[in-house]
Amino acid sequence: MNQPHAPSIVDQLNFCGIAVHWLDWAQPLRVTVDKLAKAYGFLWALRDLDLDLAPGESVALLGPNGAGKTTLLRLLAGLSTPTRGSINFDGVTFSPSVPTLRARIGLLAPADHLYENLTVQENLHFFTRLYGRSPSPAAMAEVLEQVGLARRAGEFVANLSSGMKCRLSIAKWQLLEPELLLLDEPYGVLDGGGIDLLEKFLRGQCAKGSIVIMASHHVSRVLHLCSRAVILSQGRLTFNEMKQQPWPAFDRAFGEFLPQGGS
Amino acid sequence: MTLCSQVCLLLWKDLLLELRRRDSLLTMFFFGTLLLFVFHFSFDLAPDRIMDMTPAMLWLAFLFTGTLGLAQLFHAERENHCLDALLLSPLDRGAFFLAKTAFNLLLMILVELVVIPLFWILFNLTAWNLLPQFFLVTLLGTIGFCVLGTLMSAITLRARARELLLPLVLFPLMIPVILATIRCMEAVLRSGQFGDVAPWLRLLASFDVIFLTAGVLIFDWVIES
Repeated sequence: MNQPHAPSIVDQLNFCGIAVHWLDWAQPLRVTVDKLAKAYGFLWALRDLDLDLAPGESVALLGPNGAGKTTLLRLLAGLSTPTRGSINFDGVTFSPSVPTLRARIGLLAPADHLYENLTVQENLHFFTRLYGRSPSPAAMAEVLEQVGLARRAGEFVANLSSGMKCRLSIAKWQLLEPELLLLDEPYGVLDGGGIDLLEKFLRGQCAKGSIVIMASHHVSRVLHLCSRAVILSQGRLTFNEMKQQPWPAFDRAFGEFLPQGGS
Repeated sequence: MTLCSQVCLLLWKDLLLELRRRDSLLTMFFFGTLLLFVFHFSFDLAPDRIMDMTPAMLWLAFLFTGTLGLAQLFHAERENHCLDALLLSPLDRGAFFLAKTAFNLLLMILVELVVIPLFWILFNLTAWNLLPQFFLVTLLGTIGFCVLGTLMSAITLRARARELLLPLVLFPLMIPVILATIRCMEAVLRSGQFGDVAPWLRLLASFDVIFLTAGVLIFDWVIES
C-alpha cells in the first residue's frame, strides 16, 4: 500500500509556507492526501481518503458512477475545498490561493477549458501566457503538428470536433508540462491515433517525474498505462495497490463494484 | 507574470471575443438608445423641468444598459467550464477582477459616447460646452457601477436565476452611486460647476476607490465560493 517517505527539508521547514515551495521547486512533486473528505450538503462524496503518490507514478482512478472520482480530481486541482482532511505537495499543505502551487497542476478535461471563439493558436497563446510561458512560434507549431492540428491552427475551437478539442488540450498541457496531471475520462472522445498520442504524452510526463492521475471507465486501457490502481466506491477508498502481474486482489476488488467484469 | 500583464492578457482575450461575437456591445447600445427614445416620447417635459428630470432618466438608461452587459460578463467563462481553467491557472484573482471591470467599463464608455450626445439632442440641451464635465461625472458613476457590478456578477455567477438575482442584489447597493451621480449631473446641467455638490462628488470618488480596493482583495474568495 502507501509507502511513507523520509521527511525532506521541505517537511522540516513546513512553517515557511510559500518560501518552502520555492526551495523545493526543482524537485519532482510528491503528493500526499490525508483523511480527505468532501460533503455536498448531507451527502458525503468522499470519505477519509489517504493516498501517497511518488514522483513518476501514474494512477488509474476507477470506480462506478458517483464513486467520487471527479470530486477527488477537483479537490486535487484546487477547484473544490475539502470538508475535512488535507492535500500536501512535498509536505506543504496545498492551498489553491497560492498561484505557484496551482501552476504545478494540470487538469485535462477532454473537450472543456478552451474558448470556443478563439482560434486553436490563440487558445494556446492565451493559456501559455497565463502560466507565464512564452513558447516560440516554432515550438507551438511543432506541438500542433504532433497532435495533428497544424493545418487547423487558424480555425475557431467552436468548429472542432470533441476529439480535436481533446487533442488541443493535450497540446496545451504538452507546452505547460504540469507536475501533477489530472485527467477526467479522456478516452471517450479520442480516436485510435488520439489515444496513442495521449498515452505517449502521459508516458513522457511520467518519465520526467510528473504524477498522472486518470479517472476512466476504460479499465483495461487505463491499467495498461498506469503503475497503480485506486478504486473508489461510494466515496471510500476500497483498493490502492501498485500494479502486479497477475493481480488477483485487483480482480476481486474490481469484481465487487462491477460483478459482470471489466471492459 | 505581473498583475498588469495578466490584466492586459485577460482584457485582450475579452475584447477579441467581444469583437467576434458583438453580443454585449450591440445589445447595450441598442437598448440604451431605445430607452432614451422611449423616455423622450413618454415625457412631455417643460423646458424648466428638463434639468430636474433628465439626469435621472439618463442614469436609469445607463443602469439598465449596464445590467445587460453585466449579465453577459462571465458568459465566455461559463462556456466549456473556462472559469475552471482560469481558476486552475496561476492567475492572480485580483487581476481577473480588474480585467473584467476594465472590460465592462470600456463597453459602458463606448455606449455612453453615443448615448450622451444623443441625449443632448433629444432633450434640446444647447450647452455643448458642459459635455466634458458631464462626461467626467458619468465616468465616476460608471466606474462605481462597473466595480460593484463585476463583484455582484461574480457572486451570482453560479446561481440558477442569476439574471433576476443580479439586479436584485446590485441595485440597492448602487443607491449611493445613483444619488451622487444624479445630483452631480443636475449641478453640471444647471451651472456647469460642482460647487454645491462637491460632497456628492467626493462620495462618488470614495465609493469607486473603496469598492475597487475591496474587489481586488476579496475577489479570490468571491470567485471560489
